[in-house]
Amino acid sequence: MRRALTLALLILASVPLLYAVSLLPPVGSEDNPTYTYVVPHYLEEGPEETGCENIVTAVILNYRGFDTGGEVTVIFTALMAVFGVLLIPRPAEKVRQPESAVPVSPVTLFIVRTLAPFIVVFSVYQIINGHSTPGGGFQGGTIIGALLIAASLVMGSERTQRLLPEGVRRWLQPAAVLMFAVVGVTGMLLFGEYLSYPIEGEYLFLRVPFLTLVEIGIGVGGAAIVASIFWAMEGSDG
Amino acid sequence: MSRAFDLVLYGLLIACALAVIRTKDLLAASIIFSTYSLILCLVWQLRGSPDVALTEAAVGAGVTTVLFLVAVARTSRRER
Amino acid sequence: MSNHPVVLAITVLFVCVGAFFFLVGTIGILRLPDFYSRTHAATKCDTVGAGSILVGLAVYTGLEFDSLKILAIAAFVLLTSPTAGHALARAAFRTGLVPWTRSPDKGGVG
Repeated sequence: MRRALTLALLILASVPLLYAVSLLPPVGSEDNPTYTYVVPHYLEEGPEETGCENIVTAVILNYRGFDTGGEVTVIFTALMAVFGVLLIPRPAEKVRQPESAVPVSPVTLFIVRTLAPFIVVFSVYQIINGHSTPGGGFQGGTIIGALLIAASLVMGSERTQRLLPEGVRRWLQPAAVLMFAVVGVTGMLLFGEYLSYPIEGEYLFLRVPFLTLVEIGIGVGGAAIVASIFWAMEGSDG
Repeated sequence: MSRAFDLVLYGLLIACALAVIRTKDLLAASIIFSTYSLILCLVWQLRGSPDVALTEAAVGAGVTTVLFLVAVARTSRRER
Repeated sequence: MSNHPVVLAITVLFVCVGAFFFLVGTIGILRLPDFYSRTHAATKCDTVGAGSILVGLAVYTGLEFDSLKILAIAAFVLLTSPTAGHALARAAFRTGLVPWTRSPDKGGVG
């Protein structure tokens, strides 16, 4: 009986959805609204309106700058939620996970240590150069965060956390949000609108520093948040 | 040719998605989900969006899998 | 990019060797009896197969910056993939997984 009801509900719900799909313009058709209005505008006017060589950066940091600011806030809030759930003090039981029974292999340790500088160089390149090539602050930051996780796995969380002491970490976690606020308010004071970047005039030299600062903020914040979530879930604090 | 490769990737995506749902072993499900992310990363790259592909590879296949594994290690391995 | 027959021949040779190792490795993953031998097969796939295909692509690209990038990827694959195999096998052994043996009295499944 319940199965039949579920099935009937599913079919009932799928009918309007399928009908809506049938109303969509065909995939890849030239008359789709995305191809006739938004995308041509971005592609044709983007470089002049924003001064960005890479159209993806133009969309992420200029046209949709507010969205990106909201996204980094969401990620930071997610970290707060993880802390809120996992760092509740539990007096009855000690939450610390026992160390793994398997000692770390020297081979793995050596390889991670050898590759670490390359990984750092790659992600810094992504963060700094993100406004003119694929990639950017978030991708580069996540790669550094993954490196921190790998280091925690082979060297132990305690030793890795010494790279980012508690006091430093607490300031790096909201780095993206803070950097957006700083750059946004500076733009507001200088040019009248929140998060506005100069594309001409005497302040033009500020454009690249602004974009780079935001990218660095997103990268550093992303790295700190990714690593902190891992440490919080693993039970050695964030 | 490239169309056939696309179709193979889509088929693999669907197979991985179904496998993740059907697998009761959460450790195995996490690994399959990582495979899913890797294939999706290829699809993004073929669709001409290297930015999204990079994010998918770093976040989807890398960090999320590790977080899932930690979560499995702290809770139970079997779905109930 | 070069269409010189020698370059093409070397490229085809490397890519075919890579594809052969992928094929053998995949058969190995499906057919070998236990975790250790399957890890061995999978690692061969990644290391020799991917490495050889990448070297072939680098030869095909010619002396350019892109081929340097491809060779860098090949070098990283050669470093990381055996390490991953090593870590997997070691973790399995340390947690007490008994390797498969042909004789039934040694604890294998026969």
